[in-house]
Amino acid sequence: MKVRDIMTKDLTSIEKEMSVKELVFILNNSGKTSVPVVDAEEKLIGFISEADIIKAALPGYFELLNGVGFIPDMNQLSKKLAQIEDDAIEKYMQREVVWVYDDDDDLQVADLMIRKNIRTIPVIDHESHLVGVVTRINLVRQLL
Amino acid sequence: MIITVTPNPAVNKIYWVDKLKVGSKTQDEFLTRATRSATSASGKGVNISIFLAGMGVENVAMGFISGHAGHLLINDLRDKGVTTNFCWTSGETCTNVTIIERGKEHIPIQIDESGSGVTTTEIERFIRRYKRALSRASWVILGGDLPPGVDDKFYYRLTELAKEKGIKVVVNATGQPLTQALSAAPYLVKPDLRESRIWDEMILDTEEHIISAGKRVIAMGVDTMLISHKVAGDILVTAAGVWEVKARVEMSQLHHLIGADDVFLGGMVYKLQAGENVEEALKFSMAAGTLYAKHGASVCREQEKIEQEMSIITLEQLEGSQ
Repeated sequence: MKVRDIMTKDLTSIEKEMSVKELVFILNNSGKTSVPVVDAEEKLIGFISEADIIKAALPGYFELLNGVGFIPDMNQLSKKLAQIEDDAIEKYMQREVVWVYDDDDDLQVADLMIRKNIRTIPVIDHESHLVGVVTRINLVRQLL
Repeated sequence: MIITVTPNPAVNKIYWVDKLKVGSKTQDEFLTRATRSATSASGKGVNISIFLAGMGVENVAMGFISGHAGHLLINDLRDKGVTTNFCWTSGETCTNVTIIERGKEHIPIQIDESGSGVTTTEIERFIRRYKRALSRASWVILGGDLPPGVDDKFYYRLTELAKEKGIKVVVNATGQPLTQALSAAPYLVKPDLRESRIWDEMILDTEEHIISAGKRVIAMGVDTMLISHKVAGDILVTAAGVWEVKARVEMSQLHHLIGADDVFLGGMVYKLQAGENVEEALKFSMAAGTLYAKHGASVCREQEKIEQEMSIITLEQLEGSQ
């Protein structure tokens, strides 16, 4: 089975110049947890998830502590988010993106998802245009 | 790739009833039970996207969506093989209700919501997304009414942007949004005459009036004007001539008129983008629309059945050289 046969054919994406506030609006309304970042020709240039924004709003030592017990209250997090809401998402996006071609095999995607612990992978054509995303549930649904 | 834009799409809830009870006093008398129901994504561009996807043509559906109904709509489109690229907004996507009473299938009752408002920021976000999508489009189809907050020059603006890139544009709308779009000279225009046969001070009722209106629009730089004449008959006007296409069908055979017009236009674009001439495209599209009106969505996407249905279609050239 090819990726194009199982992927979600949705082009919801964001440009690197758009703000964190706009990203949060899109994620919240669309129910997505991540979106590909594209250029003016809809070619894939990055990826950003809610985790990237939360990480940006938390102190750098958060990952070392592996918990939020050190945060005295949610106001601290809220203040930090307000500080970064107008920042361009370019500042926080992932530039090294794991992607697949629409004519790759489903096995290849499954391998990437398991090995790299990824939930959503952008799908592109051979001209680098975004054509959809493939998620874990796309794969699981196909296997049932 | 083909892009369809439906600024104000809807979830269409259809109820089929044996007898619609209205104006009764007791609950027993006013409760009408549906014999069956169906829920689907709808809207002019959306319906064309579904038809084209069924015919195996890659296309992307765009527009504004929001809320719970927005999720229903987008999931239905994906299930039908359409690629989605909608701009999420605040509010709630429309839910339209259609009631079809047994024996009165050709005059369904339809209740349409107006739609949530769209903000200037959301419009500009859509325009950025639309410009990106144009980079790989060959045809754009703009269809339906505009949601509150979107000004009448919206289709004009979208037509201009597409034409700058040499993309053919089809506009299927009514009122000021259509009139304004004409200034950008789209490739094909089809006025939506469901609510009124008066458009831009022209009464589009008789063959004469329709042809005269068509010629006026062609003189503005539009290549093709398609106007609904009768339930199963349309008139097409180009600089080269005027044609009337008709389906030999009894009204009692038409059970699914809602959306049939969109399948008709989808059939035109399907053939024209494949390089077919206008006569062939007209016969095919009328056959597709008629098949849809007779049997619903499932059969009208089978090429073979549409071609069989072409046997009941007649095409007459009213003006121009053969």
